[in-house]
Amino acid sequence: MSLVVIGLSHHSAPVTLRERFAFAEARLPAALQLLRDSGAAEEAVILSTCNRVEIYAATPLEPSKAFSALRDFLTTCHEFYCLNEPQSVHHLFKVACGLDSMVLGETEILGQLKKAYDVALRGGHTAGRLNKAFQRAFNVAKQVRTETQIQRGSISVGSAAVELAEKIFSSLSERDVMVIGAGDTSEKTARALLSRGARSIIVTNRSHDKAVLLASELGGRAIHFEDWAKEFASIDVVISSTAAPHYILDRVKLEPLMKLRRNRPLLLIDIAVPRDIEPEVNFMENVFLYNIDDLQAIADDYLKQRKAEAVRCEKLIRDKVEGLLGSSREGQTGGTKYALTLPRSQTPTP
Amino acid sequence: MAGSIDRNFFAGAVLVYGLSMIYSLFLWRKGFRRDDHVNYLLLLLAFALHTTAMILRGFRLNHCPVTNLYEATTFAMWSIVAVYLGVGLWPRLRFLGAFASPVLFAIGVFALMPSLDQARNARPGVSATWISIHAAMMALSYGAFGLASVAAAMYLTQEHNLKLHKLQAIFSLLPPIQRLEAVVGRLLVSGFVLLTIGLAIGALDLTHLDNPQAFRGDPKIIWSALVWLIYLGLIVMRWKFAQGGRRFALGAIGSFVFVLLTFWGTNALSPLHNP
Repeated sequence: MSLVVIGLSHHSAPVTLRERFAFAEARLPAALQLLRDSGAAEEAVILSTCNRVEIYAATPLEPSKAFSALRDFLTTCHEFYCLNEPQSVHHLFKVACGLDSMVLGETEILGQLKKAYDVALRGGHTAGRLNKAFQRAFNVAKQVRTETQIQRGSISVGSAAVELAEKIFSSLSERDVMVIGAGDTSEKTARALLSRGARSIIVTNRSHDKAVLLASELGGRAIHFEDWAKEFASIDVVISSTAAPHYILDRVKLEPLMKLRRNRPLLLIDIAVPRDIEPEVNFMENVFLYNIDDLQAIADDYLKQRKAEAVRCEKLIRDKVEGLLGSSREGQTGGTKYALTLPRSQTPTP
Repeated sequence: MAGSIDRNFFAGAVLVYGLSMIYSLFLWRKGFRRDDHVNYLLLLLAFALHTTAMILRGFRLNHCPVTNLYEATTFAMWSIVAVYLGVGLWPRLRFLGAFASPVLFAIGVFALMPSLDQARNARPGVSATWISIHAAMMALSYGAFGLASVAAAMYLTQEHNLKLHKLQAIFSLLPPIQRLEAVVGRLLVSGFVLLTIGLAIGALDLTHLDNPQAFRGDPKIIWSALVWLIYLGLIVMRWKFAQGGRRFALGAIGSFVFVLLTFWGTNALSPLHNP
């Protein structure tokens, strides 16, 4: 009985293809039963997330026959990867540790994998082979989390801004955020702050309608653009992203506003290009100004650290795979990627 | 012989403060990214040796060991470490030890100078117990001011890194600057309260002397009043006039440096404290 994986992920297929193979959670038990009844697998786990669809199967069939049967099961031909031992086990461990994720080291995939396994387990679709492999995968993920820094730090601009805020303020739960202007990055940054507990959001924009729309999406309130300075006394974090060709906030404007705030620390995040906030204000006491390049540098550095940690994690995973499969099976090859062509009638539109 | 045993224990404590200082340099070079408890444990060991030294001396003298400059200095140091060990139970504040150990080592080496450890005659007319309480309160207040200045140094380090957009500011495990400022504030207020109590007890002790008016111009009394005013000024500046942040941190450090540089000299010039 060998453990095989067949699947497609963000590495191999765009979302328009992945979504065709996605399994709704409610359909998983029936799909698993169907797969086992087909004879392609004696044990099976189906993992279906926004970034991947994978079938882990313990099959008595020869790998090529097993892959063929599994592809048939999936009914639609696209770009699959098909892995036999030891690569299949290696892949499972990598997925559990977040090393195969779009965001390197993310932790959400472990929860999704556990849930997929749980569905299969409760339905009686797993036995010794997959149970052992998946339990070991969860242990490896835990070990990687505690022994390495793969999950440390923020590799997006929004979460880098949150990390920055957490280095300035004791707690975000008493902090109020103002978003000036609109934009994808400023919205993501505001959401990141809210998700970490920021107390409230005020949105202002030259177009008041846009401010109202964004405020309602973020659960905050909108104010007219002319009134933003009046709200400054209570604000701790400002995210600025307007299309103004000049500075909307400079030292002359900020000095009296800081007095209103009794010189409490103020974090200014200037995402606009050209910049909204005069760089000089960073020299003012208790004011911390960061622009988009600064935040990107933080995110890039964390990504670099994670990539360095990924090398350590790979070694750890290799050791664990050997431990599970036994060193006697080291020489076996099992990594095969099959590129499938679609019948013309089923060619997806990109 | 008995005296040398407690001094040996204190010397051992100073040696461990020195080791902690060296390890702190390593932590600094690594950007405070590792929290491996080693420094905390070193300071805990030093504290154990330090406490043993003070207990041995206390039993030998049969009173709280705060009667001469050596004892007052070691007591102040002991209070810095004691407060740190309590505060350092919070992981993010543990790095205070890395900033405190150089100060502790420097003061410890200074305290070991033989000339500081002279036997003192008790001043007639004043209860030895109340003198000990006065001296202990003063030493504890200096300890609080010392740790406040250490926290202020930590604040300035982190604030500097944040201002200059150094990645170290993000990657280090140092606490947020707002929390550090709060720690500085609380320690200063605690020190100020202890200082006020200590000075009040000292003033009461004075009234028991035969001729208290003779000591009105005593350098140590004037100096103590000046220190009290300096710290009062810092507290008013922070809370009444909202002058926190870098200025407050610099004020906390500057005030303690002033105390460090002038304490022993003023004491030597004081006939009240050198009968």
